Amino acid sequence: MQTIQALFQDFSTLYIQEYKPTWLKVKLQNATDIVEVAKALQSNGLTVISTVSPTDFVEDNRIEMNYFFEDILTKRNCWVKVDIPREIEQCVIDSITPIFKGALWHEREAYSMFGVRFTNHPDLRPIIVSQDFYGKTPYRRDFDWAAHEADTLGNIQAIYEDFEQEQAQNETLLDSNSSQMILNWGPTHPASGPIRLKVHCDGEDILGIDPDIGFVWRALEHLVTKKDFVGAIVAVERLCFMDNINSMVGYCQAVEEIANVEISEFAKWMRVLLGEVSRISSHMMGMGNFYNSLGLHTAFMWNVDVREYFLDFLESYSGARIATAAIEPGGVRYTLEEGMLETLQKAIEKFDATKEEIRAIFVKNPTMKSRATTKGILSAQAIEEYSLCGIVARASGVKTDIRLDEPYAAYDQVQMDYVTQQGGSAADRLKMLFDEIEQSVAIVRQAKAHIVANIANGNFNPTKDHMVKVPKKLPKGEAISRVEWARGEVLMHLVTDEKATNPYRLKMKAPSFNHTMILGELLKGESLSDIPLIFGSLYICQGDLDR
Amino acid sequence: MELLFNITIFPGMLYFLAWTVLLFWFFRKFMAALHKRVGPHFNGPAGSYQTLFDFTKLLTKESVTPSGVNPYLFSLMPILAALIAMLPSAFIPWTPSTTVVPTEYGVLALVVLIGIEPFLLFLSGFGSDNKYSFLGGIRILTQMISSETAFFLAALSPALLFGTLNLQTITESASWLSFVVLIPAFVLYFIALLALLEQPPFNIPDAEQEIVYGFYTEYSGTNYFLLKFAEFAEFMAVYAGATVLFLGGYKGLLVDGYLCFFLKMLLMAMVMMAIRAATPRVTMKQMIRLFWQYLVPLSLLNIAWIMLAKIYLLGGMA
Amino acid sequence: MIKIFDFFAHAKSESLWIAHFCTGCCSLEMAAAMGPRYDWERYGYLPTPTPRQADILIITGLVTKKMLPALLRTYAQMPQPKYVLALGACSFDGGPYNDSLAVIKNPTEILPADVFVAGCPPRPEAIVEGLEQIKYKMKHSIPSAASQGGVWKEMKF
Repeated sequence: MQTIQALFQDFSTLYIQEYKPTWLKVKLQNATDIVEVAKALQSNGLTVISTVSPTDFVEDNRIEMNYFFEDILTKRNCWVKVDIPREIEQCVIDSITPIFKGALWHEREAYSMFGVRFTNHPDLRPIIVSQDFYGKTPYRRDFDWAAHEADTLGNIQAIYEDFEQEQAQNETLLDSNSSQMILNWGPTHPASGPIRLKVHCDGEDILGIDPDIGFVWRALEHLVTKKDFVGAIVAVERLCFMDNINSMVGYCQAVEEIANVEISEFAKWMRVLLGEVSRISSHMMGMGNFYNSLGLHTAFMWNVDVREYFLDFLESYSGARIATAAIEPGGVRYTLEEGMLETLQKAIEKFDATKEEIRAIFVKNPTMKSRATTKGILSAQAIEEYSLCGIVARASGVKTDIRLDEPYAAYDQVQMDYVTQQGGSAADRLKMLFDEIEQSVAIVRQAKAHIVANIANGNFNPTKDHMVKVPKKLPKGEAISRVEWARGEVLMHLVTDEKATNPYRLKMKAPSFNHTMILGELLKGESLSDIPLIFGSLYICQGDLDR
Repeated sequence: MELLFNITIFPGMLYFLAWTVLLFWFFRKFMAALHKRVGPHFNGPAGSYQTLFDFTKLLTKESVTPSGVNPYLFSLMPILAALIAMLPSAFIPWTPSTTVVPTEYGVLALVVLIGIEPFLLFLSGFGSDNKYSFLGGIRILTQMISSETAFFLAALSPALLFGTLNLQTITESASWLSFVVLIPAFVLYFIALLALLEQPPFNIPDAEQEIVYGFYTEYSGTNYFLLKFAEFAEFMAVYAGATVLFLGGYKGLLVDGYLCFFLKMLLMAMVMMAIRAATPRVTMKQMIRLFWQYLVPLSLLNIAWIMLAKIYLLGGMA
Repeated sequence: MIKIFDFFAHAKSESLWIAHFCTGCCSLEMAAAMGPRYDWERYGYLPTPTPRQADILIITGLVTKKMLPALLRTYAQMPQPKYVLALGACSFDGGPYNDSLAVIKNPTEILPADVFVAGCPPRPEAIVEGLEQIKYKMKHSIPSAASQGGVWKEMKF
């Protein structure tokens, strides 16, 4: 931390603060310094850029750029802030993409949402937003949504015409005598989900891929600013339904930090318990989808069979199978009642009964190995270069796991270790999924035992301890909170105003964004058969891709 | 009169229709059991009317002909595919007395008629004016070229062993010893069969996750029914071929007859389904490598083994 | 003769094949409905890879502006007779995304749905129940809502 602090002596800064155990918060004076700062940080080992997040301050007439630089092992992190003017012509900053490749899409997102232009960016096209928002700035506070929406049907027609034009262009671009063509892989495709990959291929060989995303763009980051702090969890949990508990945990931690509230020990353990159950159910779907993409549905069915029992627990706890809304600022929403943990015990027993079968048939499947061990290989260096995280990073042998690096909730008391694989191939990522399910079940066992023991000896009161009061109005402030989500790091950057009743700005950095970014790199030169395999192995959820 | 009976009822149209309906139901039910599900359940006893409803629906639904395709090619191909797929049954000795066209060249007829089918499916994909259909068509052609060498060599080894191309004679001269001798050929035949019928792990031409539904993509209603019917008729032809060539046809342990023939075919269908439930799809390149690098040399070796066995084990049996 | 037509209508209603198309989060519960516990194949539902062979289009939750042309194109590709099932709160009025202006609040005004299933996301049992309602409509040859009207007829897609 000292070395990083020393770096900033060469630059004019407004303040340098230590923030949380692992963060250094720096505000630069000049926007022109950002490239030099990025270079200096990179040469000091902070090789990962988590995200680029602009915040729009209308009254101060400035846009504050936030850069989150991380060490690959995420023990030393640096949060760099810098102001740039708000007028659309002067809203320009140097791009750091030439230094951090991982910022490629994040800067494109900032460009399409806030109109921040990045000089020297290699590919500054709008992303996520639909065609009717091109050239506009939808996330700025003064953007007039109502006026824009007055002509919805017209906007849809514009989107359609743009698509038509693109298709016509594809026909003229290609030599009609060659075997080259451009395939639209999605969104009406059995394996794609709501995403479109523009696959430029020569027969079966892929020449290039350009993902077209934004088919489930719900503008969540804008949506939360219209809701109060509790209501916002509805939007936050819909980041991705597969693992919704952990995204709520991330958001609630940020709120609690600004409100300066310490939640009870019981609530912390409940967050661990619920979060791991949610992670298990997500990973099971992930394994199933991986095999679905290889044309084998049995794995999906068997995993869904086990997953239902874990959803039973969520249902007995919160009343809903998926949209639980179980985590709230101040703790967890519901009390823990008798019988709930027995449902969980049943789920664990069900998992124990089937896990050896699943391991023998699906994790060690020779046909799968013959296909997947040589495909989609990501080296540890590539992980760093493209700022990947979660399962994908750990499958390449990178020891990064926020539950251990920057423990939140009660993870500092949990016995666990990094689960890694060395190969970095698609098969390794599948193995990771299964290993992590096992790890999560072990954590669930621990948490359950801990909760039961402490209820028995009277430390926890399951009907009272679950919530502490969080004031309705929050002071001015900002906070970041990171959680290890099923797919990787989720970074929530929450900004509040004076006496705020609703978030001023919430940036959600979700892992699928980076994972989709590298699809083009991974698939170049492979064949059409490898698209679903690699796409499935990267464990992408379109929900958190588009937000 | 008898010919009319053969064409319309057994082993003709009605027989194939019943086979398609029943086998599709059986596949779904068997697959569901491997998936830990129930499968069709509420329509009829154990859901057995389900596939009847499915096919009736397909026949009464609209058949879309996309604009931009040649309508004749587009609608002719499913009919041709269905007809050609049914033809091999004329040469099969279903029971000791039922062979519609008794000929000395039964094996050749069988092999050629089975081998024509993928080409028709290629044309149906080619005629769909859809990129995914076209890719499916190209894939089916590649797969056909790769798998048929091994398939033919394996299918001809019983003919070599017994010294005849007549299917009836092959069935009659089959014994336990010849069955043992033909086991390697049967295994080769079965692997090639999976590729020929586009079944997992070789369901490359209609790989849903890669190219939507391959050559089926643009077909709907009656046309789709005909293609599906052709697929199931093709199952029957290939299973029946294997039964006659390797498993002794209608000969049973206790009694001879059609029932034994049917049970043997069903057994193969079950093995195929079990493979389907446990094996992911391989890629085009892997399939080509498997066939040309391993199966074709092995089937040549198998021919040598058959000859040696014929001379030394069976004592030059005629 | 009437008996035969009845049988055709019955066959059509009992064999509902579903276009494999997901527009939003409800597809997660659709996957659960396919799974071992709720197994919708018991009733004869079968997902098909291409819309050409499908009888039912399911609007699985939210529809964004970018998704709508694809949704309508998928609907147009399906053969007659075809029905639409709308899942979840989003497809009715935008649901939790009602304030979000990237999401179309009333997709079923554009493409009218025959049956709505409530919930966010609806439970698998509810999805199966919704499909059973469509069966009823088909059995009695009630024309589908989308063929009766809707903004989609005036749109290019």
